[in-house]
Amino acid sequence: MVDIVFLALAAVSIGASVIALEAREIVYGAVALGVSFLGLAGFFIILDAPFVALFQITVYVGAVVVLILFTVMLIRREKGVKTPAAWERGVGIVAAAVLAIGMGSVAFASGLQTWVAPQGVQVSFREIGVQLLTQYWPILLILGLVLASAVMGALTLAKVEREEK
Amino acid sequence: MSEPTDFEEFLKRVVTIVFWILLIVPIIVLPLLFFGSEILQALQLLVNANSIFILINKAQNPFLAFELMDSLGQGPCIATATYQPSAGCNPTFFRIVIFPGFTFVALLTLWLGWFERKLAAKVHMRYGPLYAGRISGVLQPIADILKLLGKELIIPAKADKPFFIAVPLLTMGISAALLTLIPLSERVYVVPPASASLGLLVLFAVLGFYPIIILMGAWASSNKFSFIGGLRALHQLVSYEIPWFLAVLGVVVLTSSLDPFQIVRAQSKIWFIVPQFIAAFVFLTATLAELERIPFDLPEADTEIVFGWLTEYGGMFWGILFGLSPFIKLYVFSGLFTILFLGGWLGPAFLPPEIWFILKTFVVITVIMFSRVFNPRIRIDLLIRVGWVYLILLAVINLFIAVGLKAFGVL
Repeated sequence: MVDIVFLALAAVSIGASVIALEAREIVYGAVALGVSFLGLAGFFIILDAPFVALFQITVYVGAVVVLILFTVMLIRREKGVKTPAAWERGVGIVAAAVLAIGMGSVAFASGLQTWVAPQGVQVSFREIGVQLLTQYWPILLILGLVLASAVMGALTLAKVEREEK
Repeated sequence: MSEPTDFEEFLKRVVTIVFWILLIVPIIVLPLLFFGSEILQALQLLVNANSIFILINKAQNPFLAFELMDSLGQGPCIATATYQPSAGCNPTFFRIVIFPGFTFVALLTLWLGWFERKLAAKVHMRYGPLYAGRISGVLQPIADILKLLGKELIIPAKADKPFFIAVPLLTMGISAALLTLIPLSERVYVVPPASASLGLLVLFAVLGFYPIIILMGAWASSNKFSFIGGLRALHQLVSYEIPWFLAVLGVVVLTSSLDPFQIVRAQSKIWFIVPQFIAAFVFLTATLAELERIPFDLPEADTEIVFGWLTEYGGMFWGILFGLSPFIKLYVFSGLFTILFLGGWLGPAFLPPEIWFILKTFVVITVIMFSRVFNPRIRIDLLIRVGWVYLILLAVINLFIAVGLKAFGVL
């Protein structure tokens, strides 16, 4: 059962990613990207991590794809879209194949095949919260500072534009 | 008016015959086809004089319909004081499709449409729907639905066909998904308490699909009014999702749970609208914006941009996008307000908890509907400013209050 679901999810996410890259209409590409993110969220659900899956949906589908769609719709069609030359395509395929074979061999050599997953372990979001605020609090603090500085940068840029008008 | 010609007379007769066939077939012929053997058995029982009392006893059982559905494996499986469901019944289908799920809420929304028109008419000193169904026009929504179903579905020549058709269907699907997350009581629910531990987060994640779908519809229509409306809707939904969820977080901090059942149980002493009144205000305002209702109806502003992102949609597409889906959303948000702030299905025992839940939800729906009657439309820069500056500020203040209450152990 899980195998069938896994294969279906893999087909959906890879197919949607290919459409996202290759779609002639750029809006179709953006929506396909959202579908591939949903496929990833499905992987998190079969890995017994619904909390991560929901954040994947909220952040990537709910925010990132919306931003991409928003940007894409403000661009006029067929502008800035360049079809890749044949040799560029070949280089890309070779690079992807080398990467896949390399990572696959590393993964197979690491003893993954003999590893047994722990059964019945479910991490609740309360434990994640406790861990974040006790053991990992410096990381949380730094992440907050990074986000705050990004917001301040965006505000400064917006203000500079307004003053120029 | 001239006299009807022979042809018109003929048409009238044909229509009458078709009408009677349509009426009689589902009421008499189909039951005979499906339950013919049972009816024959009952007739045989009637012939046998001793068995007649058994049949009468069986007919007096008020749970006969429940028992029948349970025996088919599709029953509601709701245990009451006098009725215990049979062992093998499987309620999932019934719950998703019929009772707390889609059919129940779809019928409720039909009636809510009539109620809203009547309410607005009373405030404006008009009559509102009056003729269909004789009594204050109660059958008006059914007449509307029949009219919409009879209309042609027009897809503009320049529209992007797959997206244009996908948008109403996706909207329907997401509305139905939202409904599964609103339990009516401890025993009437779609998602059982054991697996509802992330309920509010699921709701937030599913709501995140709405802006994408609206943008898809706006873009697929290839119409400048649709496009402007879509961009306005995007601004509005994205801005107001944040204060909406920050307001929910106050309650989540107090109960340290995302589970609607736990949140309602935690309100047995005091409803959260008392300690969390700022959150309730922020939640209600953001709800109005998320529903695109009148003070915040910029995405559909009919005097400015024809009908916003819905301009090109007609017939039943319009019925789904402007009739069914917003009312289902209205029910979901009001139900959520009831669960978060009004104690859900808790109430004195003389009424069953489901009735309490529906009554409270109905009060919230009425409050939301009143806002449309006497409010003008807000300006777009004010809309963005209210969302990003004031509501988020209020929600954060409320979050600090909630943390303080929790830290000092008041609640």
